[in-house]
Amino acid sequence: MEPPQARGGSDRPLLSVVDDDESVRESLPDLLREFGFAARTFSSAEEFLSSDCLDQTRCLILDIAMPSTSGPELQRELKRRGQQIPIIFITASTDQTVRSRLLEQGAVSCLFKPFSDTALLEAVSSAIHPK
Amino acid sequence: MTGPDKSRNDFPVEASLPTGTAPLESILCTEELQRRPSRPPDYEKENRALVKLVSALADSPSTIFQTLAETIQDITQCDSAGLSLLTKDGKTPHVEGQRFYWPAICGMWNPHVGGGTPRNFGPCGDVLDRNRTLLFTHFERRYPYLMPVSPAAEECLLVPFYVDGQAVGTIWGIMHSDRRKFDAEDDRVMASLGKFASSAYQARMHIEDLKFQVAEREKAEAEVRELASGLEAKIRRLVEANVVGIFMWNLGGAITGANEAFLRMVQYDREDLVSGRLRWTELTPAEWRGHDERAIADLKATGIFQRYEKEYFRKDGSRAPVLLGGALLEGDGNEGVAFALDLSEQKRQESARLYSEERYRVVVETASDAVVSIDDKGSIVFANPATATVFGYDPAELVGKPLTLLMPEYMRELHQTGFQRYLAIGQRHMNWQGTELTALRRNGEEFPVEVSFGEITRDGHKTFTGFLRDISKRKQAEQALRRSEAFLAEAQHLSHTGSFSWCVATDEITWSEQLYRIYEIESSVPVTLELIRTRVHPEDLTLYERMVEDARNGGSDFEWQYRLLMPDHSIKYMHALAQATRDQDGQLEYIAAVQDVTARRLAEEARDQARSELTHVARVTSLGTLTASIAHELNQPLSGIVTNASTCLRMLAADPPNVDGARETARRTIRDGNRASEMITRLRALFTKKSATTQSMDLNEATREVIALSLSELQKNRVILRPELAHDLPLVTGDRIQLQQVILNLLRNASDAMSTIDDRPRDLLIRTEPDDNDRVRLSVSDVGIGFEPQAADKLFEAFYTTKNEGMGIGLSVSRSIVERHYGRLWATPNNGPGVTFSFSIPCTPEGLADAETPVNLTDLSADAA
Repeated sequence: MEPPQARGGSDRPLLSVVDDDESVRESLPDLLREFGFAARTFSSAEEFLSSDCLDQTRCLILDIAMPSTSGPELQRELKRRGQQIPIIFITASTDQTVRSRLLEQGAVSCLFKPFSDTALLEAVSSAIHPK
Repeated sequence: MTGPDKSRNDFPVEASLPTGTAPLESILCTEELQRRPSRPPDYEKENRALVKLVSALADSPSTIFQTLAETIQDITQCDSAGLSLLTKDGKTPHVEGQRFYWPAICGMWNPHVGGGTPRNFGPCGDVLDRNRTLLFTHFERRYPYLMPVSPAAEECLLVPFYVDGQAVGTIWGIMHSDRRKFDAEDDRVMASLGKFASSAYQARMHIEDLKFQVAEREKAEAEVRELASGLEAKIRRLVEANVVGIFMWNLGGAITGANEAFLRMVQYDREDLVSGRLRWTELTPAEWRGHDERAIADLKATGIFQRYEKEYFRKDGSRAPVLLGGALLEGDGNEGVAFALDLSEQKRQESARLYSEERYRVVVETASDAVVSIDDKGSIVFANPATATVFGYDPAELVGKPLTLLMPEYMRELHQTGFQRYLAIGQRHMNWQGTELTALRRNGEEFPVEVSFGEITRDGHKTFTGFLRDISKRKQAEQALRRSEAFLAEAQHLSHTGSFSWCVATDEITWSEQLYRIYEIESSVPVTLELIRTRVHPEDLTLYERMVEDARNGGSDFEWQYRLLMPDHSIKYMHALAQATRDQDGQLEYIAAVQDVTARRLAEEARDQARSELTHVARVTSLGTLTASIAHELNQPLSGIVTNASTCLRMLAADPPNVDGARETARRTIRDGNRASEMITRLRALFTKKSATTQSMDLNEATREVIALSLSELQKNRVILRPELAHDLPLVTGDRIQLQQVILNLLRNASDAMSTIDDRPRDLLIRTEPDDNDRVRLSVSDVGIGFEPQAADKLFEAFYTTKNEGMGIGLSVSRSIVERHYGRLWATPNNGPGVTFSFSIPCTPEGLADAETPVNLTDLSADAA
């Protein structure tokens, strides 16, 4: 797997992570930066929506189950606002049926926690460089 | 002969005579006999001839006529001689002869024996008509039928032949030529021979007559003999038939012979008879000896005696009544024969009749019903003592009173009219047996009676006897019964409850009105098991038949819930409770109440449905949620661990390695690992149950509770549950609730396994029994779909299921519960269809009291399984 060459700086593609679980918000940005992306984390959908990152975000890594607004609800809200951000859902659930439903509704990918770094990189790559 | 005219008329032969036939006078020359020279009488020759004739008569009567003819020829020296006799018809001989025939001829005409001449137109007839001797010459000139008879007769001398003064024919001699003429001497000899022949013939006839008489007498004697032998045979048959007792006796008092019937009558045997022990004098009781003496006096006077009734002693000393008759036998008048007819049966019947009359009298006298007889005028001729209690009249005072006295005013005319009509034309105006009428007591009180009566006709007069039963009390009881029946019917109607009785031996079924309404069947239709069957829901038919069969064999109370499928396809839910009783004949009879519980059942069904759905939802969701939640909780830290570890690796692999970053991520990895560990500790703490309570318990009782809880669901699934709970089951120590959950789970599994079975009854057997090594075993057998042998190991794994809807939790939980009781749960395929699940637990498991052992995860679902 070839990570992007650029390191640091604003020219790196921005990936936003929305998850209520702190360990994800802690661990995932480091990995994404290792892949060569810029990463911002938000603990809720509301926090993300009220930030200034919507336009710069090249890919949204979004948890499904969150206490207030769920991942799919945020997806619908973004669609409503005309924001065409590719979304990679991540979930701790074991319900396999969720995956196909989300893919039908436009998600790039759906990863079940715990997922491998390569699975994540593959998903992010296809989100940023659609074939 | 009165003249030729008459002869012509009488005889057709003469009528056909050609004219010119010679007249009679022209062929007669009788007077010439006297004018011709007569030869001297030869008496010696004549005597010899007569002797010859007599000896012929004596020796061979049949040839007398031939001898006579020869004698005539011999004496008269004529050419042919013979005799003519009038034919006889057998009935009136000598009178009605219409022809003469020639029985004997000798000489030249001998070949003509058997010929003859007509009575009224011929020479013989002429002789008899004139009653004298006539001499004919060439008589063929007048009588042409003689023309062919050759040789022709020159002269013929005919003499009448008399028997008993009656002319019966002629004797005659013929000269065929004129070598010799008959003369006066011939005339005399012929007349003499004629007389002699007459006497001889007469004697002959007497002899014949005598012979005939002898023959007749012999015939008569033969008939008598035959008759006698027939009679004898009849008597012998009578004797042998043994219908009538017959015995031979003598005046000395002995019985010398007897048939079986007589011996049987007096109960002696033949040996007694043969040995001479049987004496009629000794068989006769003293008071009957006078009768015997009178009979013997009659016998001596007349040879017979009038039959009379008497008695004989039987061998055992009892008396046999008989009717005796008899006669003396021919001979010395000392011996006789007697017949005895057994009158025992007749006497017995007579006695029975007397007894019956006596009994009838006792019945009438002691009857509690009034018995009243009236004559054909309607007057009372008899009233029994009960009349006093029923009507208040003294029986004696009623006699002579009209029957109408015992009726209310308004009925009297009706009675009179009907009574008169019956007497007149025999038409009954009411039923004679068991008719309910109103009667009148002496005190003016009207009361209901049941009347039965009959009639007797004697000497042309009818007598009517009636039984009148006071039925006031019965009427009251009937009314009370009707009232209570009405109450019951109303109660049944209100509660939608019908009732029925069923006599198992006769299959006689009686339904209450309400039951007819529930079944929606016309109440006039007789109820049969088959009729009920037509209403039973098809899915419940197997149950129905099983129920009927069990009820027939069992004889114990039963309870049954079933459905009816009505003609409009609606369904009714029924609940029947039947109680087994024995009727007065000891026959098994069920008395049952049947309630239409459709409304309640529909509500229950809705509730059960809701509950069942809820249970299922709860079971699925709670487990699912639980699993998901556990997974979710664990996946979060795991996700962190994996991500951090990946990052760490990448940082260390970078050039130069980002050691600070790697350290940070490794630190976070450890932190997340601890977090996961803490979570598992929390879960363990959560899942550890300390609720298991052990107690000494009766597994049968626990099983019965489970059955009671699941019965309605089992019935709904058309499962036929058969409990076989051992009577001598020892108590076990365990957690009652948990073991009941296992039993419930096994029952439900069995029921589910049979839910698609439609080709056989869904039989479910639950059995408890003592097991080896102080253990108790419970097994549940179904006839369901079963399982593949290779699947037996997997059955108890969590999440393994053969069911579409199941979670596969139940059996694994059940096994863990059983194992916690130090027991074992296993499954074996049946020989037939289905599976048997069994568990066996020790009665006193050690260490069970200390139930601190944490259960594994699947135990959690026990509540929901």
